[in-house]
Amino acid sequence: MLVRVLVQLTVVVALSLLVSTAVFVGRYRLRDTRLEWRDRVRAAAPITVVLAVVLLFNSVARQTVPELSWMIGYRWTETPIYDLEGEFILWLQAQATPELTAYFSFIYIYGYVFLLVFPLVAYFALSNTRPLRELLTAYTLNYALGLLCYVFVIAYGPRNVMPELVDALLYDTYPQYQHLTRQVNRNTNVFPSLHTSLAATVGFLAYRTRRVYPKWAVVAGFLSLSVAISTMYLGIHWVIDVLAGIGLAFVSVFLAGHLVGQWSVWDWLENRVSFR
Amino acid sequence: MLTTAGLGVTIGTAGCVREVRNAVNRDGRDRLSLTITTLPADGDRESIQLARTVRDTLEAVGIDASLAILSHEEFLRAILTNHEFDAYVGRYPGGSDPAYLYETLHSQYADESGWQNPFGVTSLALDDVLERQRRADGQQRREAVEETVETFAAEQPFVPICAPDEYRLVRTDRFDGWGERHPGTAQGYLGLEMVGESSDEEGDGDGDGDRDRDGDEDKVARLRAAHTDPRPSQNLNPLSAEYRHRGLVTGLLYDSFAVDPDVIGPLEDGGNDGANTRQANDGNGGDDEADELTTGIDLHPWLAESWEWERNDDALVLSVRLRDDVRFHDGEPLTADDVEFTYRFLADTTLGADGIPAPSPRHRGAIAGLEAVEGSEDGHRVELRFDAGSGTAAAARALTVPILPKHVWRDRSTPADVTGVRIAEGTTDALVVDNVPAVGSGPFAFADRTDREHVTLERSDDHFSVRPGLDLPEPTVSEVQIAIDPRSTSAIELVAGDDADVTTTTLESYVIDDVLEIADGNDDLEVLESPPRTFYHLGFNARTAPFTNPRFRRTVARLIDKAWIVEDIFDGYATPVSSPVASEWVPDELAWDDDDPATPFLGTDGTGDIDIDAARSAFEAAGFDYDANGRLRTREGN
Repeated sequence: MLVRVLVQLTVVVALSLLVSTAVFVGRYRLRDTRLEWRDRVRAAAPITVVLAVVLLFNSVARQTVPELSWMIGYRWTETPIYDLEGEFILWLQAQATPELTAYFSFIYIYGYVFLLVFPLVAYFALSNTRPLRELLTAYTLNYALGLLCYVFVIAYGPRNVMPELVDALLYDTYPQYQHLTRQVNRNTNVFPSLHTSLAATVGFLAYRTRRVYPKWAVVAGFLSLSVAISTMYLGIHWVIDVLAGIGLAFVSVFLAGHLVGQWSVWDWLENRVSFR
Repeated sequence: MLTTAGLGVTIGTAGCVREVRNAVNRDGRDRLSLTITTLPADGDRESIQLARTVRDTLEAVGIDASLAILSHEEFLRAILTNHEFDAYVGRYPGGSDPAYLYETLHSQYADESGWQNPFGVTSLALDDVLERQRRADGQQRREAVEETVETFAAEQPFVPICAPDEYRLVRTDRFDGWGERHPGTAQGYLGLEMVGESSDEEGDGDGDGDRDRDGDEDKVARLRAAHTDPRPSQNLNPLSAEYRHRGLVTGLLYDSFAVDPDVIGPLEDGGNDGANTRQANDGNGGDDEADELTTGIDLHPWLAESWEWERNDDALVLSVRLRDDVRFHDGEPLTADDVEFTYRFLADTTLGADGIPAPSPRHRGAIAGLEAVEGSEDGHRVELRFDAGSGTAAAARALTVPILPKHVWRDRSTPADVTGVRIAEGTTDALVVDNVPAVGSGPFAFADRTDREHVTLERSDDHFSVRPGLDLPEPTVSEVQIAIDPRSTSAIELVAGDDADVTTTTLESYVIDDVLEIADGNDDLEVLESPPRTFYHLGFNARTAPFTNPRFRRTVARLIDKAWIVEDIFDGYATPVSSPVASEWVPDELAWDDDDPATPFLGTDGTGDIDIDAARSAFEAAGFDYDANGRLRTREGN
């Protein structure tokens, strides 16, 4: 079951990557990439390693975090989250139609993965590696800060509080996705919405690179907005989680802009070598 | 002169200030606010819906109510161990026999942790009837139970709401014999028949469901279960109140002396087996006294070969004969020594070390009245001594506890130790250990597990049930893989797509209509309907005001439209109840008859609409009052 879903996901995302690379990146950038890829890999390698370490740590920590949270975390489901935003999620769900449900389910799974992967390709195809490094740094910060929030905040999403009003649209309409997402998500980890924050990160950076990729900026903006809405529409996140996700994205992109270029691993290595 | 004047002023001031003090130091009543603790929809969809319904109801009558949502373990820990709650909604793992009410409601257990009196109810009237119920047998016991139910109805120590019907989806193309024994119990997974020799040769369908398994899956007859509760993949401790529901998985791993015949089911009619039952019951020679001692005992020998009752002046003695040559999964023999240890350990997991005793939170009632346990020298017999007044019907519950290996559990009597943190007294290792791998003597042995993914058991090939000449249901499948799947819908999909054979946890009521339809259109699928073994209820923490007041509890009970809840939340797949026992034990005048006989709904039956004025009058009649804004006021605290 899981394998089937994963294969499907890989095929769909791979196809959309091919198409969008052709559309947004173009032949000339790809040609240059073939010539310069070594330098670009070298430039992006250190932060990629950091991201990999954070992701690895994340996957291990996700097992432990809930145990920790139940000891030290704050329980936010009822107060303040539910008290503050009342019935907005219900209103959103009242707009549900089968077409919208299909669209947002597709966005939540496929659109989201595509949105996260494509900028890696697009920025790798640029001679200037700064956007790529900023993107990787921002991803890293998202995961690191997000995990920290998960330790301190225990909250259940709308579908867990109002199962009959907020249809758990994704899991009831497409139960197979439960197998996919439960590998990644714990049901107490809803504040902030990491789906939203990563999507918004891509959106913010796409805006920053709008001169290079004008069409992508529009598409990325639209997709990241769709992802944010999908998390609420599907009853997975509260509005507050989504707002916090956007906040986290903003902080991550801001910090990434300041951190990237501050230190260079390669310079440091060279210095050490020359001192000897 | 001056002094006199001063004195006068002083007296005057003192009198004035005293009056101020008299006025200031009087506490008024405050608005009643309470929190209802419950589970998230992933853990128990109906509980959160019920809790929200109750909250809205209480808000409607002027009580400030809010929800607290906790994970399964934290929920049970808050309710059972820490008693940190005002009210809660959840399922009670009751029993078919009313004996469980003894530990549930007896005041002597009000301060203990576990399934013994989590409500902290203290009522002399209840204690009295419960005591009589424990001591009586036969007709007298029936009368005592009926009186207990009547007292319960008056006091409402908790509010029983409804008993959900149990539905499970099974595949019939690989295994047959489903539903002969209750699929909520371990015995429900014994005695299954393989369908066709070929079915276990060709493996299981498209095969991609067995993700981390290699090729030899084809050679084993693996029973694939989809379980929505992740806890068995995290903890297999039969003593844990937080991680156990009814102990289905630990029931496969551990044996008890006897099992419920309702569970054994059709065996009762089987030929050989009748002899076995008779042997157990007639061991005493068949005289009148023995008949009197065994009436009302409804248990079938399992790990015990047979047992006999004997009553003398100072004790009721149950002497149990063990089966020969039973071994634990690690090869150690199961002897009278292990049995002796088990009962001592369940009564106090500290084994009598300094400090307060720490009984097993799940077995307190089963061993109530048990005073001593003694194994015979040859290791084949064990004598259980109960206090002289004990009735056999209640005492026989001692036969249902899991028998633990002494060599594994003896060291777990030490206090749990976490560096740098002070752990509550009476927290032994035994109560917190995850017990993986579990070593029992049951029909299946622990094989493997991955947190929140699966727990896998393999057949114990020398389990006594496979011995020739014993007509007991035996483990026929070589492996049971319990895959954790958090939702009913995806569990159903696994079974329908031939990635699983059975949904071991009951299906949530909102999917039952769909499941019946799916099974209707597919010859390989069948829906099992089994009698309920749990009931939903609203529990109060009767240790604090205003829940100490039975009038308050009664009035709240009358705000709940149980029939409407069954229709609205359970889609009709539940039975509204007003008594916490099976209907055969309920006296006629309290039998459910279109409306709640014990606490009739204050509103229009079947609509959920409360008559607010009637509800307010009821609270006022119970001694509470409302402020100008229509808010219920009470004096809170202890």
